[in-house]
Amino acid sequence: MARLNSGELRELLERDLPGALAAPHSPPQAAEAHGEEENHPVLQEHDAVVVAERLPDVARYLRDQLGYSYLSHITAVDYLREGLIEVVYFFYHPEGGGPQIVRVRVPRDNAVIPSITPFWPGANLQEREAYDLFGVHFPGHPFLRRVYLWDEFEGYPMRKDFPKTGDKYTHVTGGEE
Amino acid sequence: MIAGTFTGTIKTEELQINIGPQHPSTHGVFRMITRIDGETILGLEPVFGYLHRNHEQLGEVSSYLQIIPFTDRLDYFNSMPNNQGYCMAVEKLAGIEVPERAEYIRVIMAELSRIQNHATALGFMLNDMGAMGTPLLYGFREREKILDLFEAASGARMMCSYMRFGGVARDIDDEWLGELKKLMVGLPAFFDEFERLLSENEILLSRARNVGILPKAVALDYSVTGPLLRGSGIPYDVRRAEPYSVYDRFGFDVVVGSVGDIYDRYLVRVEEMRQSLRILEQAVQQLPDASGGHLNPKVKQQSIRPPAGEAYARVETPKGELGFYLVSDGSGRPYRYKIRAPSFINLTALSDLARGHKVADLVVILGSIDIVMGEVDR
Amino acid sequence: MTTTTAEKTTTSAAGQIRAGRGGVVVVQRRSNKPHMGQGLAKGMAVVIKHFADALLKRNDSRDEISGMFTVEYPEEVLALPETYRNMPVLLYDDETGHELCTSCFQCERVCPPQVIHITQAKNPETGKPVPAAAEFIIEYDSCMSCGYCAEVCPFDAIKMDHYFELSTPNHLAMDVHKEALNRPVSYYATIAPNLWAEVRDTALKKLQNNIKRRPGTIGVAPQALGKVAAKTPAAKVAPGAAPGAQAAPSAAPAKPVAAIGKNMPPEKVARLEAIRAANRARRGAAAGAPSHHEQQVQLAEEPVLSSAPPQGAAGPGAAPGLGGAAPSTGPGEDMPSDKRARLEAIRAANRARREGEGPAAADAPVQSAAEPAPVQDGAVPAAEPDKDMPDEKRARLEAIRAANRARRREQEGS
Repeated sequence: MARLNSGELRELLERDLPGALAAPHSPPQAAEAHGEEENHPVLQEHDAVVVAERLPDVARYLRDQLGYSYLSHITAVDYLREGLIEVVYFFYHPEGGGPQIVRVRVPRDNAVIPSITPFWPGANLQEREAYDLFGVHFPGHPFLRRVYLWDEFEGYPMRKDFPKTGDKYTHVTGGEE
Repeated sequence: MIAGTFTGTIKTEELQINIGPQHPSTHGVFRMITRIDGETILGLEPVFGYLHRNHEQLGEVSSYLQIIPFTDRLDYFNSMPNNQGYCMAVEKLAGIEVPERAEYIRVIMAELSRIQNHATALGFMLNDMGAMGTPLLYGFREREKILDLFEAASGARMMCSYMRFGGVARDIDDEWLGELKKLMVGLPAFFDEFERLLSENEILLSRARNVGILPKAVALDYSVTGPLLRGSGIPYDVRRAEPYSVYDRFGFDVVVGSVGDIYDRYLVRVEEMRQSLRILEQAVQQLPDASGGHLNPKVKQQSIRPPAGEAYARVETPKGELGFYLVSDGSGRPYRYKIRAPSFINLTALSDLARGHKVADLVVILGSIDIVMGEVDR
Repeated sequence: MTTTTAEKTTTSAAGQIRAGRGGVVVVQRRSNKPHMGQGLAKGMAVVIKHFADALLKRNDSRDEISGMFTVEYPEEVLALPETYRNMPVLLYDDETGHELCTSCFQCERVCPPQVIHITQAKNPETGKPVPAAAEFIIEYDSCMSCGYCAEVCPFDAIKMDHYFELSTPNHLAMDVHKEALNRPVSYYATIAPNLWAEVRDTALKKLQNNIKRRPGTIGVAPQALGKVAAKTPAAKVAPGAAPGAQAAPSAAPAKPVAAIGKNMPPEKVARLEAIRAANRARRGAAAGAPSHHEQQVQLAEEPVLSSAPPQGAAGPGAAPGLGGAAPSTGPGEDMPSDKRARLEAIRAANRARREGEGPAAADAPVQSAAEPAPVQDGAVPAAEPDKDMPDEKRARLEAIRAANRARRREQEGS
């Protein structure tokens, strides 16, 4: 299987899996009105951004058609200002080379992505971690439970709006004790 | 579902027992809820989180330089590759160049770390098997020599925090290289002796052969890496697949097994130690002189502010592929800091590996996967 | 069974393929050999050889893999490398007694677990920050010994120690304060000679600059205070200082200090000395004008520290006739004669009042030498040398001071 250059994946997906690619993200109007904000992360647009429902198809396509059968990494990033959570999938080819990156952007209040664990067992623990820390739900996962925190924990600690101190589980640091 | 069978006059039931988290053989605070029928394991559920220190959120509130000592404590056996991976990610993000001598020093430290890790990991695995510490302490003795070298170079034996953005914290001098060369003289004898001690040992053979087989066809689907993957026969090594640092200048072999059982992983680790020695010899020979410097002087370590963007850098640690994913928002602190921990993902395979084996085998299988809870739980 | 890389080449009998910079090697499982115990025997042979070697020879070289390598700690200790880092300590100069730390807060900022807590010293008279640390706390129980503080310190004041036998059952003692953190430079030069030799010159030069900016004994290590009292290093004198108790015989007047960090050119020094000599002569010498530094030293050694030392506030047994010493102002400044007269009048009045109230009024709350002390009873209001203090303001100040005195007496009485 030939190894892809970056950018080729988008073309292949457009050709073979129409409708899988998501529209590019447009920044909300409010940000432009406030002017240049000093420190803010940027959303990468040159990789393949996929709509959530089509992710299993894209994953299968990558593995069976293109030979990228090594899923290295599933990461969730919380973009608070844009109001979305981006889940990034890194696929590698067993013969070597760089990653093929597939991104899925879901709104923060309804973060649902179909699980790829049924046919890709390596995603098991990583999807559980994304669920535990960010609150992204993966329907179809055989055992979607918290992996680091105890089961009765409330909240998703790695989200940007989760208080780093002073929530109901910890005391306020730096204040009166 | 109660697996009750009625074998003649004995009625058996499925038991659910809890192995860990306080257990000498679980390689850290690791809990396995196993369903067993007699001694045979029917199912296993791993429970993590006992060493969860919220390292990733700690990274979000610390500056880039302050995270380096925390990365030491991820896989606390191999602090050098941890530092290397993290510094590579930040260097990618900020576009920092690393002088050649620093790259060679990084490779030397990483390979030394690999040798000491494999020696220890095999020692612990044999400890789990019941060899009451003899192979372990032979491995530890060589490890002590390597840790002495780390202490002389970086100041600490295990928590080195030796790498900086654009190089290494302190240069190595000729005296250090002399000690390293002496160590390299003694290592082949150690490897041979280790193999003579263990590789044909009947007890090891009967307990490790054809136990805990990870079939080649599904190994890659489990996203496992490191000796676990290579033991199953898939020659995927990050140093060869996507060469980083100066690994493309060295000749070394990727070591694979054939069956994928515990014995293969043991042999893979022993052979990888020999390949590491090969890399070390070439690195020491090719080491550039000190004129290039050991640190890029243009980088302001404390106040580094990479431009907004993201980067993913991965290194081949002795446990597998360790990756650092960093999203920067242009300030002095990462916006998102994620670690792809090899031990964590290798544990995906544990429940399938252990099914059908005995409880005693489970402990050895866990030892052969070689996990470190600092990495699993972060 | 062999596996191949992308470029295929021939296979050898051992199952090794070499392609490019290295190939893929398959491990030998030795499955065909019958195992009837010879593996165990080989293993035992290795163990017995090690056992014998351990009895017969010593392993003290890195290329030996057998032999006795036990080090009988604590009677024998292994030499630690210079770069070994355990816990941080602060350095102070042996000769001058001054700590190298200027409380620049670099270490506090870079510390990853945030265990360093520094309070900057302040000039007790002006309230301006002084390049010295008033308080320096490191929480040893949380310190990671990463060495970042030592790495970033611009003044080489904080260094990593080698001492690791720190076990203690006293958890509170793990918050280590400056007095316990101080080590003389000679100690550090012993444990890390090469590292210290690299930075010694720049560190001591920076220290000399900082000493000039530190008034009195601020910045002197508590361990070295006794030594420092015997010397008279350069000190900057705040205006409005009045002579203190037991006027010591005037030693050599303080060297003139110019703008921060710079040295005065010699002709300017000569001019300044001439002016001072003239002032001194004019002022007469009832008891000489002791240098401000000496006043500070005496006061520092007594439990009461006062900033503008008034008469009688220097402690018990202060002679009533202390106010005889002529008021002195900053170097090079001349107090106008009418002002001096007014000052003398005020002091005479205060003295009289105080004698009436007794020595209790002279007591002031005991303060640590490092904290800035409020202006004491009866101290002359430190006005600018060229402005008069209006009468109503002086009256108000007196009223406030009387009230404070009364309150203090009450507190001591209770």
